[in-house]
Amino acid sequence: MQIIDYITISFLVIPLIVIVLNNLFSKQLSERVCFYFAGAAAIVQMASSVADFFLLTASRLHEYEFSLLWDLNTEGSEHFAVDSLSLVILFCVGFVSFISVLVANQTVEKKKTAYVSLLMTLMLGMNGIVLVTDLFSLYVFVEIVGISSFVLVSLFQTEKGLEGAFKYLVMSSLASVFMLTGLAFIFMQTGSLQYSQPWMDILGAQGTSQIYTYAAFILLLSGFAIKTGAVPFHSWLPDAHQSANTAVSILLSGIVIKVAGIYGFIVIMDLFGDFPAVNMVIRIMGIVSIVVGALFAIRQTHFKRIVAYSSVSQMGYILLGVSTGTTLGLLGVIMHIFNHATFKCTLFSNAAALHHRTGTLDINELGGLEKKMPVTGFSSITAFLSTTGIPPFAGFWSKLLIVLALWNSNSQWFAAIALFSSIFTAAYFLRLQKKVFFGKLPDKFSEVTEIGGSIKFAEIILTGVTILVGVGFPLVLLYLEGRGLL
Amino acid sequence: MEAVIYVCLGFLFVSGFMAVMFRSILKSAIALAAASAVLGIIMYMLGGTWAALFELSVCSGLVTVIFISAISLSNIDKEELGKVFADKKRMSLLPYILIVCGIIFVVIALSTDVWLPAVNKAVKTAGDLREILWNNRQADIWGQIIVLLAGAVAVVVLFKERD
Amino acid sequence: MNGFGFEDMMLITGFFLIISGAYCIMRTYHMLKIIIGMEIAMKAVTMFIILAGYLNGNIELAQSFVITVIVVEVVVAVVSAGIVVSIYKKYGSMDIRNLRKLKG
Repeated sequence: MQIIDYITISFLVIPLIVIVLNNLFSKQLSERVCFYFAGAAAIVQMASSVADFFLLTASRLHEYEFSLLWDLNTEGSEHFAVDSLSLVILFCVGFVSFISVLVANQTVEKKKTAYVSLLMTLMLGMNGIVLVTDLFSLYVFVEIVGISSFVLVSLFQTEKGLEGAFKYLVMSSLASVFMLTGLAFIFMQTGSLQYSQPWMDILGAQGTSQIYTYAAFILLLSGFAIKTGAVPFHSWLPDAHQSANTAVSILLSGIVIKVAGIYGFIVIMDLFGDFPAVNMVIRIMGIVSIVVGALFAIRQTHFKRIVAYSSVSQMGYILLGVSTGTTLGLLGVIMHIFNHATFKCTLFSNAAALHHRTGTLDINELGGLEKKMPVTGFSSITAFLSTTGIPPFAGFWSKLLIVLALWNSNSQWFAAIALFSSIFTAAYFLRLQKKVFFGKLPDKFSEVTEIGGSIKFAEIILTGVTILVGVGFPLVLLYLEGRGLL
Repeated sequence: MEAVIYVCLGFLFVSGFMAVMFRSILKSAIALAAASAVLGIIMYMLGGTWAALFELSVCSGLVTVIFISAISLSNIDKEELGKVFADKKRMSLLPYILIVCGIIFVVIALSTDVWLPAVNKAVKTAGDLREILWNNRQADIWGQIIVLLAGAVAVVVLFKERD
Repeated sequence: MNGFGFEDMMLITGFFLIISGAYCIMRTYHMLKIIIGMEIAMKAVTMFIILAGYLNGNIELAQSFVITVIVVEVVVAVVSAGIVVSIYKKYGSMDIRNLRKLKG
C-alpha cells in the first residue's frame, strides 16, 4: 500500500485505538493521561489532513477511494472516498477537537475518561460522514454523531444538562424519521442509494410519481435542517448550548451542527441541485435564519445563549452560500465553516474563562472586566470583529465570497438583505462586549485575575489564527487561481 | 395471501393506536411489543425473512425489556398515573384527527391518480442478503460497530448508581 | 380506484402510524411515553423501507438497510431511557412539566 493509504486509513483507525487504550488501563492512570491521548489524536488528525491535501493535489486525482479491511474491487462494493472538500472539513474537525480538549483540561473535573471516549466516538462519526459515498451510510453516521452528542450534553448530570439533552433528543429523533422516510421514497424510485448514480435520469423522468420525488426532497431537507438548527427548527439549539459544559458547547457549535447538517445540504445540492425548488427552499431557509437568529440574540441575557443564537444566524449565511451551487459559493462556504469554527471557539473559551473566574455568566452582573482579564477581552473583540465581517479579519473574506456568489447567481435582493443583517450582528455583539468587558467593575469581582493555563493558550492560538487567516487569505485565492480551480 | 396481509395491517394499526391511547404505561409498552411482532410477520410475507427475524428478536424483545426495566425503576401507582398525567383527556383528540386524515386520503384517491408505481424490478443486486451485507455495505458495518461502542459508553455513564 | 393493492394500504397505515407517533410526542406528559411514540414512528419508517424494497425487486438491499436501522434504533432507545431514568432520579417524577428551567 502506498503512503496515501496509510494516511487516509488513520482517520478511521486512530480514534478507535485511543478508545481502546483509554479503557485498558486502571482508572487512576486513565484519568491522568486521557487528555494527552485525546490531544495527540486531534493533532494527528490535523497533520494527516494537511499531508493528504498536498498528496492529493500532487497526484492530480480528483478523489481517492479506499477501503478498510475489505477488498476494494469487489463487485458493486461501496467504499470510502476522500476528496479536497472532505480534507478541509477533517482539518476543522481536528482543530475544534483540539481546542475542546484544551478547554476541557480546566473545566472538566470528573468523568474525564468517559468524556474522552465520547469525544473519540464523535470524531469517528464525523470522519465517517465526510468519507462515505452512499446516502444511507450518511444517515448512519449522522445518527452516531447525534447519539454521542446527546450523551455528551447530559454527561455531567446537572438538571439543566439533562433537560437540554432531552429536548435535543426528541428533535433529533424527529429528524431521523423525516430523513429515513425521504430516503425510502427515493429508494422506491431508484434501485440503490449510492452517490455515483445517474440520479437525474432516474428521478426526472416519470410523470405522476414526481410527487414522491418532491415529498422525498422536502423530508430530507427538513431532516437536515433540524440537525443544523435552521429556522423554524432551531428551538433545541440555545437550550442544548446553554446547559452543556463549555467544552461540549464548543464541540456542538463548532463542528456538530456543521458537519451533521451543512454537509448534508452540500450533498443534496450536489446530487439534486438541478431541481429549481431545492435551490429556492434552501435560500429562503437561509435568509430567515439570519434575521430570526439575530433578532432573538438581541434580547438575551445569558452569555452562552447569545452565542448560541449567533450560531443560528451564521448557519443562515452558510445555507445561502450552499444554495448557489457555484464554485465561488462553495469556496465561501468552506471558508466560512472554518472561520465560524474559529470565532465560535474563541467566544466559548471566553465564556469558560469568565465562568471559571467569576462564577456567573449573566451579563447583567458582569462588567468592566477589560482591565482584569486583558487576554480574554482582546480575543473577544477579535472574534466580534471577525463575525461582523470587518477587514482585515478572517470573517470579512468568507462573507464577501458568499455575497459575491449570491450576486452572481441573480439573487440581488438576498445579497442585499444578507449584507444589511450584519448590522444586527454588530448590534448584539456590541451589547455583549459593552456589558461584559467595559463599563464599571462591580465590587465583588475586584480580585479576579486573568485565566491561566490551557484556556489562555487556546485563546491565544485562536486569535492568532483569525488574524493570520484574515491577512493571508488573498494568497490562498491566488494559489487556487494558479491551480485553475477558481 | 393478500387477505392475510390486510388483516395483519389492521392489527398493526390497532396496536399502534392503542399504544398511544392507553392510560397505563405498562400496557403501552406491551402494545408496542405486539406491534413489533405483527410488523415482523408482515415483513416475512413480503419476502424479507432475515429482517423479520431481527425485528422479532430485537425490537419485540430487547426494546420491550428495556422499557419495562425503566418503568420498574420508577414505580408509580396506576390511579395516580391517571390523575396526574391526565393522559386520557389529552389523547382523546387522536381518533378524530385520524378520521379526518382518512377522509382526506379517500378524497385524494378518488380525484387524482397518485398511487404507487407498479412493481418495477429496476436494478437488482445479485446475491443473498449475507453477501450483500458483508461485502457491499462495509461502511454500514463500521457504523454499527461504532454505534454499539458509543451506546456501551453511554450505558456505563448514565446508569451508574452513585460514584 | 383501479389497481388498489395492499401496497397502497401499507402506505396509508404507515402515514397513520407516523401521525399517531408525532401526536403522542407532542401531547403527552409522561416522559417514557414520548419514547414509545418515537418507536412507533420508527416502525412506520421500517415498513416504508421494506415496501420500497419489495416494489423495486431489491429486497435484499432493503433488508440490510432495515437491519442497520434496527441496531441504531435500539441504541437510541437505550440512551433515551438512560436520560429519562437520570431525570427521574433528580426530580422524583416522570412528569415533563418539571423541566422548565431553560427559558427564552
